Amino acid sequence: MTIPTGPQHRISRAEARGVPAPRPDRSPPPGDDTDLERLLSLVARGDQDAFETLYDKLSGPAYGLVRKVLRDPAQSEEVTQEVMLEVWRAASRFDPARGSASAWALTIAHRRAVDRVRSETAAAEREQRSAQFPVAVDDVAETVEASMDAEQVRRCLDGLTEIQREAITLAYYGGYTYPQVATKLEVALGTVKTRIRDGLMRLGNCLGRSW
Amino acid sequence: MRLFSRRVHELSGAYALDALDPDERERFERHLRRCPSCAEDVQRMTSTATALAMAVAAEPPPGLKQRVLVAAAATPQLPPLQPTAAKRRQGRRVIRSAWFPRLALGVAAVGVAAAVVLAVVTVSTQDRLDTVQAQNRAIAAVLAAPDAQIATAKSSTGGNATVVLSYAQQKMIFTSSGLPRLPNAKVYELWLLSTGSAVPAGLLPQPTDGKTAPVLASGLTSADKVGVTVEPAGGTSSPTTTPILVMTLPD
Repeated sequence: MTIPTGPQHRISRAEARGVPAPRPDRSPPPGDDTDLERLLSLVARGDQDAFETLYDKLSGPAYGLVRKVLRDPAQSEEVTQEVMLEVWRAASRFDPARGSASAWALTIAHRRAVDRVRSETAAAEREQRSAQFPVAVDDVAETVEASMDAEQVRRCLDGLTEIQREAITLAYYGGYTYPQVATKLEVALGTVKTRIRDGLMRLGNCLGRSW
Repeated sequence: MRLFSRRVHELSGAYALDALDPDERERFERHLRRCPSCAEDVQRMTSTATALAMAVAAEPPPGLKQRVLVAAAATPQLPPLQPTAAKRRQGRRVIRSAWFPRLALGVAAVGVAAAVVLAVVTVSTQDRLDTVQAQNRAIAAVLAAPDAQIATAKSSTGGNATVVLSYAQQKMIFTSSGLPRLPNAKVYELWLLSTGSAVPAGLLPQPTDGKTAPVLASGLTSADKVGVTVEPAGGTSSPTTTPILVMTLPD
């Protein structure tokens, strides 16, 4: 699947109504989110055709993310199936006021992956799996060919300090809690908290400007 | 207090990346409900995390799509969250929209809804109206059950049947369309089937415009199939003919 890069700037509903867009530096949600919202509202009413279209749009990012965290392809497939079913089951709970449709779905995906990787057996096998399915920290862009999004994310990650970048990638792609990140990076807990927060803000600004 | 909330506030980044343990996550979510600026920060950082997810998109394994679509068709959906007081004042429209979305199969849902309406318009006396209204409430309760599921099957004589069932309520609603009209001396009888047993579950009314009004059957405990036979008017206590329809119920 190719990531939908879409038109560089879609007119949001608010703008269409003549309401000024929210803060210009806020990163717009990736992908065609107006479309995703419409699909999700159809899915909430049991529309299976809409769900199929939604699957085509979201399963790539969901599977890629789950696989990034879990490494193991079989487990990743299983968790992705759970995630997509949860999207179907809970579509009526999506609230556009609280974020984009893709953010909602991928938050579900990330939580499920993280819950799985932190479960007891998963923890025991974790180091072993890392050795079995090695993924370098900096291969962010390699799984997707010629994706604008991936390019920009990589470039913006490069713009962070080393600790910011490592803390964010270990937490998000590695599924580690921030105390675990602190141990791995050998820095203080408070430092990790603020580096993650400052790093994400900076990353958001960078992505916001390039979109 | 202020120092405490500033420290909690610092967790917003870790929260957006799911890097909190469950206890801390819960504590932070409590804080989030009282802190609009934190909620705004979290929303913004979650959007950034979404870009990190998009950047690692990968082709899902072939076959996953089909499995997901089939599983979804059999998975009941959550209703929207309880309407707020303001919405509740709109009355009926809210009630309808609260139970309709639960039905996973759009077409089947339309069939059942049409049949419910039909049951209302075919009554004439007040007594029957009361009975039907009570039945419609029971039907609405099954349709609204969180565990409601839908199954369909074709009849060997033409036409098909749709069942909405709730194991929690041990009830099911049976509707059909396209079943041939029977002579007056005959009737369609519904059965709950399990290995070696057939329990009578009601008689179908004569089809009107090709559809039978919904029949509500209780006692759905051990049955794993539903069957329909053609019986003498008045029905029988055990089937005397080969079923024209057997439907396997979902687990």
